[in-house]
Amino acid sequence: MCDLFALSAQKDYSAPEFLPVFAVRAKKNMDGWGIGFYRKHQAIVEKSAEQIFHSGELHDSFQRLARVVKSRIIICHLRFRTSGLIDECHAHPFVLKFGGHDWMFAHNGKAPAIESYRSSGIAIEDATSDSARAFEYLRDRMEDHHREDAKPEKLFNSLANSTSQMIDQYPGDYNYLLSNGHLLFAFTNHRQFMFMKGSEKLKGAFLLTTLAQGLTTEKWLRVAKATNRRGLLLAISGNDVILHQSI
Amino acid sequence: MDTVVSHESFQRLARVIDSRIIISHINCPKSGGHHSTQLHPFKLTFLDHDWLFAQVGVVENINAYQTRETPRLEVEVYTARIFEYLRDQLVLLHRKNPYISVYIALRIAIQELLDDYAGKYTFFLANESFLFAFCNFRQLMILKASESMGDILLVTSVKEGLSRTDWHPITPDPQSQGELLVIAGPDVLYAGEV
Repeated sequence: MCDLFALSAQKDYSAPEFLPVFAVRAKKNMDGWGIGFYRKHQAIVEKSAEQIFHSGELHDSFQRLARVVKSRIIICHLRFRTSGLIDECHAHPFVLKFGGHDWMFAHNGKAPAIESYRSSGIAIEDATSDSARAFEYLRDRMEDHHREDAKPEKLFNSLANSTSQMIDQYPGDYNYLLSNGHLLFAFTNHRQFMFMKGSEKLKGAFLLTTLAQGLTTEKWLRVAKATNRRGLLLAISGNDVILHQSI
Repeated sequence: MDTVVSHESFQRLARVIDSRIIISHINCPKSGGHHSTQLHPFKLTFLDHDWLFAQVGVVENINAYQTRETPRLEVEVYTARIFEYLRDQLVLLHRKNPYISVYIALRIAIQELLDDYAGKYTFFLANESFLFAFCNFRQLMILKASESMGDILLVTSVKEGLSRTDWHPITPDPQSQGELLVIAGPDVLYAGEV
């Protein structure tokens, strides 16, 4: 199953130490990789269908990117294919523009039911995976909420409701990271997210990964959905969790 | 018809300020301080952030509040004590749980504040990344700005809003202790009763 990494910081931040550690620890995911970040509120994604780790070496382009990417929000995805083809189009993060933002989405999980979803909006080109459809579904529902909600629209509620609808309509295992450049949202209904903030090495950044052991020897906080709930949604800004709510 | 011209320095600042979050406070001549040091916003650094705080309202007795933390705001206006009170609560809650969500922590801090020092509060509290707005007695007006103004969100305690466009009122439920909003970027992330 794929693995996810995210960094959120108060200022533009690079992760030259943490991205390679993540890649090495998650190297079992051999079906592609992607790094997404923001430059002047514009989402920029670099991705590849090649193996992240080959002949004992990290992918050269990944290493180079890890050294130079600098952004308040960085999302990284290492792919283990469970849906769709092995090609660059199916590597995450995906990008869609709506609600005045560039949104980035990366997903870890298995939700074959949602592969049949057909959006009435712009589709993610050439991607046939459950992840692409899940992102389109969330976009479509959030736009519906935007039209229907009493003003002012509340972004967290909109995403929480959209996610809840998605799980009802298309049950599956969803761990996703979603960002609009200002905020990072993280949802989990299987496995876990591991958090780290306040580390001396981090200097004001917040790290998150799906890897159960975290990325350093420090004590990472594990968060997962409560057994009697359907999932857990978090909103992160800078190095703070602003909100977390069970769904 | 009266011609209203705002202070020249205010106008100059309005033209040049460039920030993700901007807070402005205009002091009521009948209350509050009259020296520039007594005017809002106030600034305190805690929990790895620079925080700004501005308030309108009426609160009795909080002048006597003695902060347990440092620094103390060296100004004798009650708004400074409110800010210190909230800072103290947030720091305490964070010590107990470093991963407590900021919204939940502030909601608890406000509940404590209202228990200890009941009053009429409308305030803005912001750091570099997000802005909280709380009101328990008068409405706030919100406008997600038009394309011509860029991708921004405006909030004001001015009851008519600031233009003829479609401002949305945030009115605290009289049965609740108040309404707390958190704004990140140009969006209201969440709003709920305290």
